[in-house]
Amino acid sequence: MLLNISNVQHFSLGDGPGIRTTIFFKGCPLRCPWCHNPETISPQPAQLFYKATGKREVRGMSVECEALLPELLADRDYFAESGGGVTLSGGEVMLQSEGAAQLASLLCREGISVYVDTAGYVPYANFERMNPYTDTYLYDFKTASETLMRTVIGGDLSRITDNLRRLLADGKSVRIRIPLIPGFNTDDESVDGICRALGGMGIGAVDLLPFHRLGSGKYEAMGLTYAYAATQPLRGEPLDALRRRFERDFTVRVEQ
Amino acid sequence: MSLTQALREEILAVPEGVYAPHCFKFRAIREEPDAAPQRIRANMIRALFSEPKPRILPHDLIAGNTHCLFALEEEAYLAYAERIVNMLGRRKFKTNADHYAPDYRVILSKGVPGLIDDVDRSLERHAHDGKRVETLKDMRITLEGFSAMIAHYADAADALAADPAYDGERLAFIRGNCRALVSGAPRHFAEALQLVWFCHTAFRMEGRSAMALARIDQYLWPFYKKDVEDGILTRSRAVELLENVFIKIVNDTVNICVGGTSPDGSCDVNELSYCVVEAVKNCRVPGPNLSARIMPGTPDDFLLKCLESIGTGLGYPALMNDEVNLAGLMRYGYAREDVYNYSMVGCIENFITGKQPPWVDSRFNTPLYLDYVFNNGVSQTCGSFGLALGEAESITTMDQFMKNFEAQLAWGVSEHCLDIHSRTDMLSQEAVNEPFLSCFCHDCIGRGLDINNGGSLYPSVHGAAVMGIGTVADSLAAVEKVVFTDHDATLAELRDALNANFEGYEALRDKLLAAPKYGNGDDFADKYAVWFLNYISGCFSRRRTRDGGPYYVLMAANISNISAGASDNATPDGRLRGESLSDAASPTHGRDHLGATVALRSVSKPDYTKSAGGTVVNQKFSPSAFEGDHLRALAALVRVYFKNGGQELQMNATSREVLVDAMEHPEKYGDLVVRVSGFSAYYVTLGRDVQYDILSRTQQE
Repeated sequence: MLLNISNVQHFSLGDGPGIRTTIFFKGCPLRCPWCHNPETISPQPAQLFYKATGKREVRGMSVECEALLPELLADRDYFAESGGGVTLSGGEVMLQSEGAAQLASLLCREGISVYVDTAGYVPYANFERMNPYTDTYLYDFKTASETLMRTVIGGDLSRITDNLRRLLADGKSVRIRIPLIPGFNTDDESVDGICRALGGMGIGAVDLLPFHRLGSGKYEAMGLTYAYAATQPLRGEPLDALRRRFERDFTVRVEQ
Repeated sequence: MSLTQALREEILAVPEGVYAPHCFKFRAIREEPDAAPQRIRANMIRALFSEPKPRILPHDLIAGNTHCLFALEEEAYLAYAERIVNMLGRRKFKTNADHYAPDYRVILSKGVPGLIDDVDRSLERHAHDGKRVETLKDMRITLEGFSAMIAHYADAADALAADPAYDGERLAFIRGNCRALVSGAPRHFAEALQLVWFCHTAFRMEGRSAMALARIDQYLWPFYKKDVEDGILTRSRAVELLENVFIKIVNDTVNICVGGTSPDGSCDVNELSYCVVEAVKNCRVPGPNLSARIMPGTPDDFLLKCLESIGTGLGYPALMNDEVNLAGLMRYGYAREDVYNYSMVGCIENFITGKQPPWVDSRFNTPLYLDYVFNNGVSQTCGSFGLALGEAESITTMDQFMKNFEAQLAWGVSEHCLDIHSRTDMLSQEAVNEPFLSCFCHDCIGRGLDINNGGSLYPSVHGAAVMGIGTVADSLAAVEKVVFTDHDATLAELRDALNANFEGYEALRDKLLAAPKYGNGDDFADKYAVWFLNYISGCFSRRRTRDGGPYYVLMAANISNISAGASDNATPDGRLRGESLSDAASPTHGRDHLGATVALRSVSKPDYTKSAGGTVVNQKFSPSAFEGDHLRALAALVRVYFKNGGQELQMNATSREVLVDAMEHPEKYGDLVVRVSGFSAYYVTLGRDVQYDILSRTQQE
């Protein structure tokens, strides 16, 4: 089955445990204005031109699952030694759940762990397709506010929370990841809301992903304006304060 | 401020006067003006050690530095002294002067008096052989000077007792250690460390650089263990003492080796190994060039400790694959226990500790020989000549191209060795003796022979640093792809493009750039790196140094890849004329873009047991790679890379943002240390081109 992907990234740290190879899928149903992978949002190939280096890139290709496999298996020694594997990310992997499930099944047959990074904004049927082959979901939880979800990101919060509940009910391993975006979800009210919502579902641990603007170069290369270009990276005391707040309710890990 | 940091300021404060070791040497010349030059040299070394007044620093715990060699005499006198002293001859790096690793176990077991006894016993044995007697007397003279130097340090500690700038306890500590060393062998850790540091200081006073401390966690281990068992030493005190030594390394690259493998196959890491890494990490200075010998049994937490140190931005230790280095050195027929006791000198050069003359190496500019293939033996940029094997038009297959390149390389190796021999021959092996250094090399004392004149157990080695494995592999892959597979250009057209530096041939250059590149897991390019090391090591394996030793191949050329590239013609990989060659054993900068696992998969393909001198593979990582759980992933990366036959890994943990900012605001980054192919340096002291070089190394996230 054909996959529509942006690129394959070897030696990914932070997309799950150990040394992982991450496949970035194309296409996303949401529109987070801080997104650091703007080239993966559209299913169409993205044209990037970096002025400083004069380098051009096209991000977007169709590839057969079987054709992708050798490149993924080449790092298996590294996966085995580090407890790593393959992570499917994006974009929204779950939009291509049939292809992703086929790829994941091939990897499972080879004994390679598959993590799926998702924002959860798809019908649950897509998850049911992926569940048998998914070791763990890295499940983005950006806000507990229906209004913010609808107005800023462009989605229906209940679908995301429902899917999360069902994954937990189905006994899937889920790791919650919260992007910390200044001006969006780092105020007390937003954080309290997130903590309440997750706590209510029995979530015990969360990963915090502090905002950074390393993606700004890609916006420029695509001829787009990055709404967060002037926003300072979240670090130091403001980040520590947020970490402490989350630590009241959860086991916290900060991914830099 | 910590004791160590305070000491750093004291060691960096340059004394009044002019640094003038020759001034002290000169004082000895008139003693025996008509003696043989070897004796005069021995007398000069004795004077160099025993005449200057030691300068103990207020925060010294382990004393010894070269501040004592600053002289206040008049300029004209100093110039005269220097001229006379230099006329007596002097060895340099190219003629086996430094880059040496003593086997400190020997002097630690018997002390200076014991070493003098050894000389005396050898004198009796060789009484019938006048030459050896003189050689041994020369050695004895320098050891006497060395012993006097230690005694003077004890006296200096006494004399400072009333000085309010000094701490009485520390002075008493130094005095006690020095007195013990004058009369016998060291009994405790501090005495042992003090003796090693005095030896090293003496080598520095003689003008040697890159003298290694070698396997410090091994030879100091019995002292450490006993003192800790006896309750007179703690781990933190040992770290403090080590810091007191390492912080004094200034303007020098002193290799310090930890870890390794015992001849019985077990791992040599002990508690002191951790202390050494800790001390180097705490010092945060570029001088102590730490190397960790890693083997399969190396404990995970030791590897993590090493990675933590690297992750501070220090870049140390360099990680060495013991299995590969041992196998590489075993090829040369050294005794097994000597191979297992190897250490590194200079940046990463493998050395049989204490049993061979000082290390020498030279650079071999490989891509130059591609120029010869294309241009019938005439370099377009260097004005030099290779073999005239015909014009590019006469080469019609990849096989013919390779045969031509092989012939050029074989010829080049032979010319290279001729050049090296001519340098060695300029120096009479007998005339410029090294009586003090000889006392630290087995079995100069026993044989009564100088280290460079038959005294050492093994003959000298010469390291041929072959440059540009990435440039060469990429170039050959591009020729195969563009000329002989896709037929997008003829070899003659490619030659014209190279000689025009691609001006007017931009489309062809794009095709060359698009060809497979070394470092991306693709055998199409990687096979040429494998071929290159096999072939070039074969060429050098047929050569011998003047005293019958081997030529090692190594792939570590400091920053010579920049200067060599500056004089090389454009190459078929799309590299423009004058651009740097690929660095050390790494793929070409920026072309190994698929990530560290893929790059290292490629880089582990060549058979590095044929690169016995050592290699450097630079990989830059973001600091976040050294945080939290990521550290274990990095450890796994190293393990797999070594299991697959990689030889060396130098990791850099500085973020791009920091490097860029440091270029704009050097004043803010005075202590930022980065590694440059085998040694560390203060980043802001490097030239712009080197800074860009570091920046352009693929950043692996």
